[in-house]
Amino acid sequence: MSNAPAEAVKAEETPEEVIDLTEANNIIDKYLTLPGNLMPVLQGIQEWYGYVPRPTIDLVAERLNVYPSQIYGVLTFYAQFHLKPRGRYIIRVCVGTACHVQGAERIVDTFFGRLGIGHAETTTDLRYTFEKVACLGACGMAPLAMVNDDTFGKMTVQKVDEIVERYNQAPMKPEQK
Amino acid sequence: MVNLTIDEKQVSVGKDATIYDAAKAAGVKIPILCHDKKLHPFGGCRMCLVEVEQMKGRLIPACTTPVTEGMIVRTVTDEIVKARKLVLELLLLKHPIDCPVCDAAGDCDLQNLTYEYKVNTNRFVDEKFNHAIDYDNPLIERDMNRCIHCGKCARICDEIVSYGAYTFINRGIEAKMGTEFDGPLNCEFCGSCVSVCPVGALNSRPFKFKARWWALNKVKSVCSYCGTGCQLTLGVKDNKVLTTVYDENQGFHNGQLCTRGRFGYQFVNSDRRLTTPLVRKNGQLVEATWEEALKLVTDKLAAAKSAPASAAALTTARLTNEELFVFGKLFKETVGTDNVDHSAGYAHEALTKGAKASFGITASPSEIADIQKAEQLLVVKSDAYETHPVIGFEINLGVKRKGVKLQIVSDKKGKLGKLPGAKTAVHAPGAEVALFNALCASVIEQGLAVDAPGLAELKGSLSAADAQATGLSAEEIAAIAKEFATAEKALIILPIGQGYPGHDANLAQAAANLAILTGKIGKEGAGLLIMGEKNNSQGAADLGIYPQKGGLTAQQIIDGAASGSIKTLYIAGENPVVSYPNRAKVEKALDAVDFLVVADLFLTETAAKADVVLPVVSFAEKSGTFTSLGRRVQNVRQAIKPLGLAKSDFEVLSTLNSALGGARYAKQGDVFAEIASSVAGYAGLTQAKLTDQGVVVPVTVSAKLTAVAAKTPAAQAGKFALVTGSALYHNGTMSRFGEGPMYVCPDGYAELSTDDAAALKVAEGDTVKLTSATGSVSLKAKVGKRVPKGVVFAPYHFGEASINSITDGAAVTFVTVGK
Repeated sequence: MSNAPAEAVKAEETPEEVIDLTEANNIIDKYLTLPGNLMPVLQGIQEWYGYVPRPTIDLVAERLNVYPSQIYGVLTFYAQFHLKPRGRYIIRVCVGTACHVQGAERIVDTFFGRLGIGHAETTTDLRYTFEKVACLGACGMAPLAMVNDDTFGKMTVQKVDEIVERYNQAPMKPEQK
Repeated sequence: MVNLTIDEKQVSVGKDATIYDAAKAAGVKIPILCHDKKLHPFGGCRMCLVEVEQMKGRLIPACTTPVTEGMIVRTVTDEIVKARKLVLELLLLKHPIDCPVCDAAGDCDLQNLTYEYKVNTNRFVDEKFNHAIDYDNPLIERDMNRCIHCGKCARICDEIVSYGAYTFINRGIEAKMGTEFDGPLNCEFCGSCVSVCPVGALNSRPFKFKARWWALNKVKSVCSYCGTGCQLTLGVKDNKVLTTVYDENQGFHNGQLCTRGRFGYQFVNSDRRLTTPLVRKNGQLVEATWEEALKLVTDKLAAAKSAPASAAALTTARLTNEELFVFGKLFKETVGTDNVDHSAGYAHEALTKGAKASFGITASPSEIADIQKAEQLLVVKSDAYETHPVIGFEINLGVKRKGVKLQIVSDKKGKLGKLPGAKTAVHAPGAEVALFNALCASVIEQGLAVDAPGLAELKGSLSAADAQATGLSAEEIAAIAKEFATAEKALIILPIGQGYPGHDANLAQAAANLAILTGKIGKEGAGLLIMGEKNNSQGAADLGIYPQKGGLTAQQIIDGAASGSIKTLYIAGENPVVSYPNRAKVEKALDAVDFLVVADLFLTETAAKADVVLPVVSFAEKSGTFTSLGRRVQNVRQAIKPLGLAKSDFEVLSTLNSALGGARYAKQGDVFAEIASSVAGYAGLTQAKLTDQGVVVPVTVSAKLTAVAAKTPAAQAGKFALVTGSALYHNGTMSRFGEGPMYVCPDGYAELSTDDAAALKVAEGDTVKLTSATGSVSLKAKVGKRVPKGVVFAPYHFGEASINSITDGAAVTFVTVGK
């Protein structure tokens, strides 16, 4: 189900996190006076941390004077937000009709084998999260894979190795904007 | 006005009205599930669909559609009924039909509408939800399987309570009403969400499986906790108060209650109630008959008549006006002593001395209705929310709905400060009087003062030292003064009570000065509202239950008892051992007194020291009147028969009075007539005239500026400033006998700032030892951002490790904090 809501983290399951809130504070500073600033702030936090860690929710609640419950409501409404740590690199492979007939399942299986994780799972080193998606909207390039914002068309099993090799070398910290 | 036709009925309504409002005005009932008159329209449930001639082709939700001129509305057509049935079918698809075990049955909007619309079959089939039921708190059960997603709980928690515990979480079919991180509910537990829930998704746990809704006898009365005077409906069965029933049409607050009001009623039928008189024999309190107990009391009081200065009486401001009247007659006239006082003496002086000096009356010039009519509120202490939570709701509504500007001056931060645009000026502990003096000085300096009697005297008394003592900058003070003075309508809100020894006559006068100096007296939505702590604090002031002819005040009575000059002491409902400053001193005094009578519901710490204990009844077992803050006189109605052998204070005091040669008051109604003829402002009142709404007693104010010297305590190096007060869930010492408040807040605590806690290496829940010149006490630490550095806050209600073991009646007590 592609429209499944973002996973809900039960309070007792939340891991003990030590989160450096400096960048979250910077993001809030940037949008502090903007009306309707909750969404851009949460998006900024998600972009920086890869997900929305609980301590940042408390911080945003306090600094923007929004109820933590409401923030949680927003976070669970939009599929774009994640409450659990995600990989630095999100690999998405299209399994829509066009990609399917072009052999997307073999691409998926190869990724599974190379990364050691399944659908919607994250590697323990937090480098990769893998997702099968319904359609990425570029059927002409089928079969298609994406890593974060980079697109890889006409995928082959060999290209999977190249991609994994390339992103194994990529930095784990996002670039400071 | 807009004219429209609803079901062939002509109706005229204001232009802001919705079709639903217009139908209500026309007497046409439109079914609703998600709409509530107290909340913004939501339009979620689609039960209120109607047909509008001019908008043919689709059905229109009545609750969100504004009226227009000439609208022709039909509320019952075949199409509408079909649509409403569909709505019900879809709701019943997921709603479990567990009505036989649901506490809402009988009071359930979904059940009633299903019955009304005869939905006896369902064309759809689906699985029910399987959400876990939240049993994690003792007061509110959340069974989200029954939820119909009307959103009322989230909206009332946001719009009125301003806590925001609830939100819709997830999306689509998985959406449900939840809390932050879908965790257990952890909020103020005011139960507003329970009151508005149209089904049984939110239940009161103390009432669970206690009685069917229709089997309850519903009795309208007035809450007996704080001075707000909220009306409530008691749900009674088998001579037991089992719950409070929500009635959205009750009182200025539209049925809104706080934790204490909604969940704190259990003290009425508590197992710990005294049901028989007790008399001390060989050092032990043993059961006795009323005759024996009253004879002892009568003999001692009769003996005291020849030496009235050796007798004294203390009462709580929880008694009815009628009881207080007889109390006054008994001690002031029949026994002949003026040593009569209440509320620790200092906790009523803001009214009896302060307001008296500034306004010539022992009441506030303003009333509760002024809060939402004001443009600017100046709230002294964020505690206004803790002491009077329903007044807090009024402030929330004023700020959020009416655009009232809010300035808080306090020694700590609080919930009110989070309201939109609210400003909190955190001043030095105990600097309240200095702050008001500084504000007055600033008003004069900025040329914003109006002429008023006493202006020269006030000017002469103000000094620059006051502004310095507050710890606020000159700019901050000038800004607050300017904002208050330039607002057309500005109101000062000042809570008082036994936990606030600094909120005395001086502070009331200093606050009154600012209101008078800026011309805010005698106007609607402006002035000064002094909020008494107990349900009848205002009544006790009106009836003069304090020394007026040179008699001893409550504190002097305690001193007198200790020194031996007070030999006979009658205490009605007051619990000085816990609520008066300096516990050791009070205990010694009560031990020393020759003959101590305590009339109370419970064997309190004070009653345990008595020679005779008289069991009296709660507000639910008697009739009479209470006068709430803002001077509203309201009817209290008897809901159950007295428990055991307990008698009302009225009966006890009246019996004593006649036994001692005074008048016998047989009916409290007669006494109310006497009050009406003797108490200023009550003239012409009868209990029938009070009806359900009560009557606000008029006052004639003659405002006068008075010079008040500020005595701000200087900070002491290495010591913390301890300020006491009220916890949100408690009021006085009686709420300790209500299960609801005790579930949420069972023990006293010491609240420290995060910085101080870190420096002391103290974590939340650790035991800390507070030591003052008076004594020391160990309390659980609470750590947060509410109190500033160097300040410790502790509530005063608790008997175990009571904070009065280390306080001595000063506004601020300097303590050392150790582990």
